[in-house]
Amino acid sequence: MSPDLVLQQALNGISFGALLFILAAGLSLIFGMMDVVNLAHGAFYMLGAYITLKIVDVTQQFWPAIVVAPLALALLGLVLEPTLLRRLRGRHLDQVLLTIGVALVMADLIGLFWGREIRALPFPPGLDGSVVIAGNVYPIYRLFVIAFAIGLALLLAYLHRRTAVGALIRAGVDDAEMLSALGVDTDRLFAFTFAVGAGLAGLAGVIAAPAFGVHPGMDVEALIYSLIVVVVGGLGTLTGAAAGAGLVGPADTFGKTLFQEFALALIFAIMAVVLLARPSGLFGRIRISR
Amino acid sequence: MELSDRPERRPKLTRREFIVAGSAVALAAACAPAAAPSPSATAAGATTAATTAPTTAVSSPGPTLKIGMLLPSTQVYAELGASQKRAAELYLKQAGNKIANRSVQFIYEDEASGDTKIAVTKTQKFIDQDQADLMMGIIATPNAYAIRNTVDAAKFIYLGTNAGGNAMTRPIANCTPSCFSKYVFRTSFSAWQVSEPLGEWVSKKGEKEFFLCYSNYAFGTESAAAFIEGLGKNGGKDTGKNTPPLGNTDWLPVLTAVKGQPTKNVFSFFSGTDAIGYIRAWDQLKMKDSGYKMYGAGFLTEQDVLKEVKTQAVGAITSLFWSVELDNAENKAFVDLYKKEYNLLPDVFAVQMWDGMKALDEALKKTSGNTKDKDAFIAALEGVSFKSPRGDFSFDKATHNVVHDIYIREVKTSGSDVVNSIVDKFGKVTDPGK
Repeated sequence: MSPDLVLQQALNGISFGALLFILAAGLSLIFGMMDVVNLAHGAFYMLGAYITLKIVDVTQQFWPAIVVAPLALALLGLVLEPTLLRRLRGRHLDQVLLTIGVALVMADLIGLFWGREIRALPFPPGLDGSVVIAGNVYPIYRLFVIAFAIGLALLLAYLHRRTAVGALIRAGVDDAEMLSALGVDTDRLFAFTFAVGAGLAGLAGVIAAPAFGVHPGMDVEALIYSLIVVVVGGLGTLTGAAAGAGLVGPADTFGKTLFQEFALALIFAIMAVVLLARPSGLFGRIRISR
Repeated sequence: MELSDRPERRPKLTRREFIVAGSAVALAAACAPAAAPSPSATAAGATTAATTAPTTAVSSPGPTLKIGMLLPSTQVYAELGASQKRAAELYLKQAGNKIANRSVQFIYEDEASGDTKIAVTKTQKFIDQDQADLMMGIIATPNAYAIRNTVDAAKFIYLGTNAGGNAMTRPIANCTPSCFSKYVFRTSFSAWQVSEPLGEWVSKKGEKEFFLCYSNYAFGTESAAAFIEGLGKNGGKDTGKNTPPLGNTDWLPVLTAVKGQPTKNVFSFFSGTDAIGYIRAWDQLKMKDSGYKMYGAGFLTEQDVLKEVKTQAVGAITSLFWSVELDNAENKAFVDLYKKEYNLLPDVFAVQMWDGMKALDEALKKTSGNTKDKDAFIAALEGVSFKSPRGDFSFDKATHNVVHDIYIREVKTSGSDVVNSIVDKFGKVTDPGK
């Protein structure tokens, strides 16, 4: 590979990783706080993308989706947590099964409502062109994804570290029982966390829709990638999601270019190595044995 | 309104027939306990008469023709399944809801594309529980391979309407994963049939060097091999390959790699979501401006893809046995009828099922609706020949695979539409069968 080809593939990998970060942040947050592996996360992402499709179809505008879809998903999370998940609190396996059920029902309802055709979304105006980097054209939208993910990471880090809600979330991740004993309404905190996690999945769906299209099956793809990212990066922390996405995105891209026959195995191999060396992930605060 | 509606009320009519056919129904029900005691049971009431004198049962309606339809209704291929379902139902409707004077019942099962064991179980259900006369459908090649032994052992006719793996209609020494069975027919295509003529055509035009980019699964590999075979007939060859997995997520890295190599002609085998991702990334990297040219099997630019990528695909040259643009009377009638019924353009998958129904119709006319005599049924199918929306349609007796024309098409703009416009034709392309 020539140096400019390496640079281009690196950009591809980083922008894919940037999207994975948006996707995995929500999953990691929910797991860290509530100890629930939310397997409906991929379906939340899918719904976010389909809402974007609807908004673009109806209004011919992309930008409203970036607000509407995450809010809609947050609202859905706010309904699902108290009505379904809360009833099974502490029963991990049952909760996992429940989220699988939610994922299947959602994917089918989406198919029923939107049809099962494959759809592509145009890039939003202004971001549909390309720029020349080191003598090669490169699509602007991919650069936007990188910038957006960095901006979001900074915002989330600020909220997480410098605000009262962030402090509650950090405390909840460390020891939810103790937090409850101190008089914090953990029910509300859990519902809020689940809503934020679902909203982040929806946001990832919005950002991904123009780049990767909208189609049945996208939920499973997204779920697998986001699970790998949080396992590699470590569950429950933003730094972990960022590190995992930063590693998995480029690894997947270069893997598929350099060792095509092992492309799918490569990211799983990375996951296995990380788990052997650091069972709680690169920046994990939660031990898997808990 | 009320008055004119009344005589046509279905329940009353069926109930009367039900009483008339009374004892015969009970008999039929005893023979096939799983059959639903709905309208089909009344038709089955005539079974006894038909089976005692099968050849004279032309004027009175025969027993219900049961067709097992194994088509995906969930997962990624759901839309292909839906398209074939629409075509089958439309054919039956325009044929007056009867085939060879027998009323027809479609029994749908979900192909659930990922698991071949499920396909086998559902096939067995058609044979044992439903007592179906034959089965049709199957989108995914691994499923078609998987059910081969089941239908062959049961002497059960399978009319394949999509899965295009070469081996399905070819004799292979040790019979894995599949090999010719006289009970298997295919109305769709073989991988070879679609891609080999393109290789021959481009090399005849003087384009001898091609880079290959195709989905890394059996059908993609077979298609690329067939293309290279055609290319080789005029001294052409491939210069390298890039083979992303089926269902790839991010296409920019793939096209970055294609652009990073010097051969400008690229044979591209993708379909569905992959084709859309590939063509959009091709456009984002401005491959056309850098002199790259896209070639591929026709699925690359079929309606499902074209309506999403639109002008981004302009200039691509593909090969297929049909195009919605095809200028013949049957195609015009078919496209109009389909559009009127569903307010949709038909796709190639609909044509494959339409022709499957037509082939069945023609064959059963010759056997007077008899499907029990398998040898006569097979002989009738082998002799089928008709004008299809794709042109002349017949089966190759040696392989039971379809024989049809292959069209070379170029994606062009036509008014506000983007279409596959036909630029050349290969007459009566027959799979070599080995």
